Amino acid sequence: MASKEQREQFKLYKEDVERRGKQFYPYAMFHDTIMSFVVVSVIAALAAVWYFTAEETAGEAGVLGPRYAEPADPATTSFVPRPDWYFYFLFYLLRIFKWPESVILGTVGIPTILMMLLFALPFLDRRRERRIVRRPVAVVVALMVIASMGILTYKGATAEEPSATSGEALLVGNDMPTDDEQVVAGADLFAKVGCLNCHAYGSQGADGPGPDVSEVGDQGKGEEYWVQWIRNPQSLKPGTSMPAFPNLTDEQLQNLAVFLEASKSGGGGG
Amino acid sequence: MPKTKSKRQQQIEAVALYPVDWLEERSGLIGGLRYFLFRKVPAETNWFHTLGSATLTAFIVQAVTGVILAMYYKPSAELNPETGKPIAYESIETITNDLTLGWLVRGMHRWGASVFIILLFLHMGRVFLFGAYKYPRELNWLVGAVLLLMAMGEGLTGYLLPWDQTSYWATVVAININANAPIAGPFLGDFLRGGQEIGSETLTRFYSLHMLVIPGGLAGLIALHLYLVVRLGITPPPWTKAAGGYEAQPNGGRPARTGLVNPSPRGNGNGGRERRES
Ligand code: HEM
Repeated sequence: MASKEQREQFKLYKEDVERRGKQFYPYAMFHDTIMSFVVVSVIAALAAVWYFTAEETAGEAGVLGPRYAEPADPATTSFVPRPDWYFYFLFYLLRIFKWPESVILGTVGIPTILMMLLFALPFLDRRRERRIVRRPVAVVVALMVIASMGILTYKGATAEEPSATSGEALLVGNDMPTDDEQVVAGADLFAKVGCLNCHAYGSQGADGPGPDVSEVGDQGKGEEYWVQWIRNPQSLKPGTSMPAFPNLTDEQLQNLAVFLEASKSGGGGG
Repeated sequence: MPKTKSKRQQQIEAVALYPVDWLEERSGLIGGLRYFLFRKVPAETNWFHTLGSATLTAFIVQAVTGVILAMYYKPSAELNPETGKPIAYESIETITNDLTLGWLVRGMHRWGASVFIILLFLHMGRVFLFGAYKYPRELNWLVGAVLLLMAMGEGLTGYLLPWDQTSYWATVVAININANAPIAGPFLGDFLRGGQEIGSETLTRFYSLHMLVIPGGLAGLIALHLYLVVRLGITPPPWTKAAGGYEAQPNGGRPARTGLVNPSPRGNGNGGRERRES
C-alpha cells in the first residue's frame, strides 16, 4: 500500500499543477504536434532513401538495404539468418552461449531475467526520490543494461557472415583428405545447405548457435544416426534449436552423414 | 453597428452547434474532450514529454500504412505456377515496384516499425530518468512494459510476411528459440509454426497475429495507458524547482530521502518520520 507520505506528496503535486500548471491545449500540444510532424517526416524520408537507392532486383541493396531478398526457399539454405536490428542483442546472446548445456541461458534465461526486471522496477524501487544524482543504484543499473544491450546489438550487427566455401576448401581447412567422392559431396552440401550458418567447421563457419562439428566423427554415432539427426533433429533430441532439413534427398543425407562420420580429430580419414 | 448578434447570426450558430450539443447531451463525449484538452499539465512540461505522443504518432503511421498494405498483400506461401515465385513475395514486389506510391506505403511501414521501437525505448528512458514510474504511476509502467513486448511481437511477426530468404531464415531461428523454452516452449513452437515445418500455415498465422491480434491489443492498451496519464497527470522533470517542491514534506521539512542509498542525512534512516511526529 501507498504510504501516507506518498499520498500527501501526490496531493501536493495535484494542487501545484492546478495552481501553476498550464493548459495541455495549446501549450503542450504545440510541442507534441511539431514532434509528430518530425516523426512522420523522418519515416517518409527513410522510406524514400531506402526505395530510391536500392534496385528492383532482389538483394540489390541501397543505403538502407535491399527492397527484398530472394524469395524464401526452404531447400537451399546457404543464407545467414538475420533478424531485424532490435533483436540483434538476443541473436548475439546465442553466439555467446552456444554450447548445448548453456544455450538455454541465452535463449530463455537472460531474456526472462531482463523481462522480470522491467516489470518489477516500480516495485523494487519504491523510494519517492526522483532526482537523478540521488538515485545512484537505479542509474548505474540502467546504464549497465543500456551499455550491454548496445554492445550486443553492435556485435550482432557486425558479426562476420560465414563465407560460402566449397566442400574441398572445408576439408583442407580441417586437415582432411579430399579423395573420397562421397566425403567431398557431403562437405559440399555442408557448405551450401546452410550448416555453416550455425556451426563452425575447421576454420570456417559460424561460432554458434550450434557447436563446432569438425570432430563429431569421434563420437562414433554412426551414419544412420546422422541421417536421422539431419532429417529431424527433434526426434533424437527434443527441444534442440537445430532446424530439420526435410527437403534433402536420401542420397544427400547419406553423403552428409558419411562426411560427418569422417570428420575425426587428427585429420580424419585415418 | 449593434453589439448584439443579429437574429440571423444566432440562428446560424444554433444550427451549427446543434450536433455538438446533441452528442454532448447523449454521451458526454464533448465534455470529455474538453477536459482532455484544457486539463492542466505541470508548467515545466518540456520536449522530453513529447516522446510519448511521438510514439503514438508512429503507431498511427503503422496502423494507416498497414491497412493499405493489407489491401494488396496476399498471405500465401504457395508458388505461382507461372513465375515459380511464392504469391506473398510477388505481392510484395508488386506493392513496391508497380503500385502508385506503393513504395512509400511499404517503405513507411517498414521504417516506421524501427522508428516506433526507437521512440518506445526513448520514451521509456525518459520515464525512467524522471522517476515517473513511482507512486502512483506503477500500473502505467506495467502497461507500458506490456506495450513494449507487444511492439516487439509486431516486429517479429511482420518480419516474416515478405516471405523472402531473410525473413524466412530469421523466423526459422526465432521459432526454434521460442520452442526451446522450458514447459510452454514446445507448444509455443508448434503453435507459431502451425505444423512440422515453417510454411503456408506459419505465414497465415503470423499474418493474423500481426494485423489482428497484436494491433488490437496494442490499441486497447494504449487507450488504457493514456487514460492513466490523464488521470494521474504528468511528472515534471526532477531537476526543476517544481519537482523539489513535490518532494518536500507538507510541514516544510526536508526533501524525501528515505531509502536504501540515501538515508536521511541526520541519520535515523527513516526519512525523518519519527522526528516529524514528535
Ligand atoms: C505504444 C507505446 C506507448 C505509447 C503510445 C505511449 C504514450 C504515452 C503518452 C502520450 C504519455 C504522456 C506524455 C509523455 O510522458 O510522453 C505517456 C506517459 C507514460 N508512459 Fe507511455 N507510451 C507507450 C509505451 C510506454 C512504455 C514502453 C513505458 C514503460 C515501460 C511507458 C510508461 C509510461 C509512464 C510511466 C508514463 C507516465 C509518465 C509521467 O507521469 O510523466 N509507456 N505514454
